[in-house]
Amino acid sequence: MSDNKDMISKDDMKPDPDYWRSFEELYNDPAFIESSHHEFKEGVTDDFNPGNLSGLSRRKFLALVGASAALAAAGCTNYRDKGDIIPYVHKPEEITLGKPLSYASTCTGCSHACGILVKTREGRPIKIDGNPDNPVSKGKICTKGHADILSLYDPEKLSQPMKRGNGGGLDKTDWVRVDNEIIGILKSAGEKEIAIVTHKIISPTAKKVLDDFKAKYPSVKVYSYELFNEQNRLSTWQKSYGTPNYPLIKWNEAKVIISLESDFLGTEGNKVENTRLYSEGRNVDDLKNFNKLYVVEGNMSLTGMNSDVRIKLRPDAQFEFVMSLIDELRNNSVSSLKTFGSKYAIPPGKLNNLLKDIRENKGKVIVYAGRTLPENVHLAVNYLNELIGGTALYRTDFVEYSVLPLSNKEEIESLVSSMNRGKVAAVIHYDSNPVFHLPADNKYANALKNVPAVITLCLSENESSSVSQYVLPVNHGLESWGDAKIRNGFYSMQQPVIYPIHNSRQKEAILLTWISGKASSYNLDLYHNYMMDNWKNNIYPLLKSKLNFEQFWNGALHDGVVITGNIDLPNVSGQFNSSSFSGINKSSAVSGFVVALKESYSVGDGRYSNNGWLNELPHPVSKIVWDNYASISRKTSKELNVRTNDLIEITSGSRKLTIPVNIQPGCADNTITIELGFGRTNAGTISDGVGFNANILQSKDEGLSSWIITNVEVRKAGGSYPLAATQEFHAFDKGRTKDAAQKRNIIREGTVDEYKKNPDFLKAGSEEVENKSLYPPYDEIKKGVKWAMAVDLNKCLGCGECVISCYSENNIPVVGKEQAAKGRDMQWLRVDRYYSGDPEEPKVSQQLMLCQHCDHAPCENVCPVAATTHSPDGLNQMVYNRCVGTRYCSNNCPYKVRRFNYFNYRDHFNDGYQQSPVFNLIFNPEVTVRSRGVMEKCTFCVQRIMEAREDAIRDERPLKGSDVKTACQEACITTAIHFGDMNDPSSEINKFRNHKLGYYVLEDLNTRPNVTYIAKLRNTDKEDA
Amino acid sequence: MKKTFLDYVLRVRLPITLFVALTSFTLTYFASRAERDGVGYTPDQPINFSHKLHAGDMKIDCQYCHTGVEKSRVAMVPPLETCMNCHRIARKDKPDIIKLTKYYNEGIALPWKRIHKVPDFVYFNHSVHVNKGIDCVNCHGDVKQMEKIGQMNSFTMSACLDCHRNALTRFPDLKNINQGPDNCFACHR
Repeated sequence: MSDNKDMISKDDMKPDPDYWRSFEELYNDPAFIESSHHEFKEGVTDDFNPGNLSGLSRRKFLALVGASAALAAAGCTNYRDKGDIIPYVHKPEEITLGKPLSYASTCTGCSHACGILVKTREGRPIKIDGNPDNPVSKGKICTKGHADILSLYDPEKLSQPMKRGNGGGLDKTDWVRVDNEIIGILKSAGEKEIAIVTHKIISPTAKKVLDDFKAKYPSVKVYSYELFNEQNRLSTWQKSYGTPNYPLIKWNEAKVIISLESDFLGTEGNKVENTRLYSEGRNVDDLKNFNKLYVVEGNMSLTGMNSDVRIKLRPDAQFEFVMSLIDELRNNSVSSLKTFGSKYAIPPGKLNNLLKDIRENKGKVIVYAGRTLPENVHLAVNYLNELIGGTALYRTDFVEYSVLPLSNKEEIESLVSSMNRGKVAAVIHYDSNPVFHLPADNKYANALKNVPAVITLCLSENESSSVSQYVLPVNHGLESWGDAKIRNGFYSMQQPVIYPIHNSRQKEAILLTWISGKASSYNLDLYHNYMMDNWKNNIYPLLKSKLNFEQFWNGALHDGVVITGNIDLPNVSGQFNSSSFSGINKSSAVSGFVVALKESYSVGDGRYSNNGWLNELPHPVSKIVWDNYASISRKTSKELNVRTNDLIEITSGSRKLTIPVNIQPGCADNTITIELGFGRTNAGTISDGVGFNANILQSKDEGLSSWIITNVEVRKAGGSYPLAATQEFHAFDKGRTKDAAQKRNIIREGTVDEYKKNPDFLKAGSEEVENKSLYPPYDEIKKGVKWAMAVDLNKCLGCGECVISCYSENNIPVVGKEQAAKGRDMQWLRVDRYYSGDPEEPKVSQQLMLCQHCDHAPCENVCPVAATTHSPDGLNQMVYNRCVGTRYCSNNCPYKVRRFNYFNYRDHFNDGYQQSPVFNLIFNPEVTVRSRGVMEKCTFCVQRIMEAREDAIRDERPLKGSDVKTACQEACITTAIHFGDMNDPSSEINKFRNHKLGYYVLEDLNTRPNVTYIAKLRNTDKEDA
Repeated sequence: MKKTFLDYVLRVRLPITLFVALTSFTLTYFASRAERDGVGYTPDQPINFSHKLHAGDMKIDCQYCHTGVEKSRVAMVPPLETCMNCHRIARKDKPDIIKLTKYYNEGIALPWKRIHKVPDFVYFNHSVHVNKGIDCVNCHGDVKQMEKIGQMNSFTMSACLDCHRNALTRFPDLKNINQGPDNCFACHR
């Protein structure tokens, strides 16, 4: 590797104007060029570290095999024996062996409570999808929702209640004993406080349990918190409109969306709903309503990556921006925005266009401030929306419903101080992890030492359980009953789909047992019956249903939702209080470094950090896996004299953090963006040692807001830490295929105006591909069904839902950071990300890349054992049992979508983590679990095709393309993925295949792919650039 | 030139030895093929259930017990409940029924010996075959005559393909039948 000087001196070189994937590639970094000459990544061909291999040596293994063979022979087992068939004694009526069943429930991954359908096989949940009946999520869920199934089978879930012994370690105990002890503690609390610390409560019945708990033990106080919350937005709404009910935004009706430091398509708010509504305005067949997205932000986010116009601006300058925009619009002066633009080096064309678009689209334009921004920005944005008519896009008939508002900062601080004064008898962590989440200078963990009884209810061990006397296992969401209310107009129902795997209990039932005061009062149905009673007495009568309660209840559980109509619509219309704007603190000082803390795209606030699928999901922008990092701009990196992977030290007050940097194209200068949720300790084999805990930068005396910290000092720390990114995987040799992405038409794009003027613009420049081929003509493909996929790049946001859904459907193994760094990730589909244009303000293009199922597949004719062949319905088949692992196919695949099993990932590594028997329950029995030495790749979900075919044969009808939905297609929130039968002229897929914007990747190779891409249109004009 | 002992070994003994070894291997290979494929495998079952009595003499339809065969991948060995539909009353005094009732009452699953098996990487589907009108007999033999159930046909890939490739001649009476698929994904995925 070259040293810093080499790298930095390359700055004067002119960057290639073509698509590039990293700064290393753009500036022809010698290390990158060197690595692109090699087939394998550095270190791949080195000898293996035996310490990482299985504990069995080859000799020992052979000895064991010999011994077991001898024993087997001695045992005289019948070699014809094929084992047993063990039927049910009583078969549950609804089960047909071999057919899956779906149950409606509610996701408990965060406080948005999306409706889910859980697919179970013989009583074993194997996949989570969205419930289409849910009025908010409408059949879609996020990556965490899909990956929640892996958390259910996490082998490190707690299996027993535990109590800290005298030696300081946790000892296993039993429920009766802990229940009796804790009831004793609660009863003797007297005047002293009993604190329940929980995440946001969204379940009305759970709220009732808490109320009952308070009634029984009067000194109970409930504190709820979220690491990322909408408190700033809500409190300013109260100031501006006199009501706490912030309205939802009609993203689908907006023509111009101006997002300020907000990742509303990635992590903020109800992402599933936002994304769906936003993508409605990205329909290339409805150009009239095509929206235009402006994003003003400090670091490249998923939303910024999808913007038409992106303005980079450090987060602490947002207030100045909003104020100068207001000034400009109110006074019609042209000076203030211009001054602002020149101060922050924003191209004037972009600002002029922004003003023009705001003025021309009154009533169709909305400004949306990110939740991490301070209150004064939100107040100014509320006023700005009044000014530009953004209020027309507020939705007043459907609003957020709060079962229990979050505690504010003062309440949490008063809890800590009463703990310190010895006024708290017991703290109950109610499936929450405040030791990790609350600002470190709260000294919450320290204060816990003054509490005689700390009780943590949790799924698996965490930072809070490590300082608790009692650690009690709770049920996973898929083992629990529940209800949820997040909006007016409906309830979402949750039911268990599997008997608790371990000796865990539902958290509400644990409280109910303590309320009863008798350990013996617990039974499995305790909370179920409580919830039914609550519904029967309190909710069912309000609904005036014509059904009797039992019918109503069964229907509610079957549907997963109860639509109530507008019996509970709160008052949302408020008059704008202009004094709220005129009274705001207008001072703003912008200097030095600013740190912006963001929620992780993969592991959320850390709750999912022990989930291998999510850790291995590449970051949508940087494509880094298994870590978080400090994102900085190129200029800042030069000032600090660091490059990607180097460590920096960030100091804010007395708080210090050392973290590696990643130089991010499109990052504002002097802005350091770090994702939270990483760096957990005591959380499990998967998560320990992954990333860095940046929560410690948060302070109770917040800077600008809890997530934007100003006045920090940053310096080079010395040393480096390798980040594993999948972004440069499969890089072509730079010399020969220099500007591959653009010249070879891998990515093809245009603007809306271009398309309006000439709908055929995409085809105009390209030459007709010669149809000559060495392959024999294959007529059978024109008969019957032929499968094809289309990916609409206008709608694809690059979020990764499809990738996680594919993990779950197709039994994809997790390979770990070390293997991922060597380019051995096993994901069957990936989202490629290309940068283009100005390296400081790049345009970003995403592309879903999966097996193209080429008619003339280059992989097929190089396989020496015919393990990959073509099926008559157009699928490129991969037969694992034939594969001998030559990897010729992968070598000959121009799309680089084949994945080779270098190891048996499930039992290779010496910790044997994935070999745990409970993990076997997650496998989809319809898909082979692959082993070491075979090639694998996307099959277009052939198991689903076969299932549809089976149903068609039974119903004696021909198989139709619309009968099959692939796992990725089902997961895609924005419906960017289409799948079907291209031989059916009336099918939807046919429309896309013949679309004017449709193209194939590497069309000139004449591989005739069956995946069509719809070219991305950017809603920009020349001045935007 | 004098013939040495070595000449004799090389010209006579070696060819004869090789011939005998090869012939016996070939003969054993082919003769034992059915055995290796499992044809004729008729193990003792925990309960002496007679298909001849139930399906043959008493003419109980296959699907009374094997309910999954039209709906799903697996035909399904019936739950003990199904046996007890009749045997709560019928033949309660017979030793095997007493054994069965004991299993049922104690809620213990009955470990039947498995007869027919395709490897794990084969996704055979009963319903598509049965719904096309292919009779059980074609693969399972004349179960109605079997006192003790056993494997009658080979369940190898060549046996599958033999039928798939010659479906029209094998089943001339079935109208709604096509040539069976012989692409890989038909069975492997």
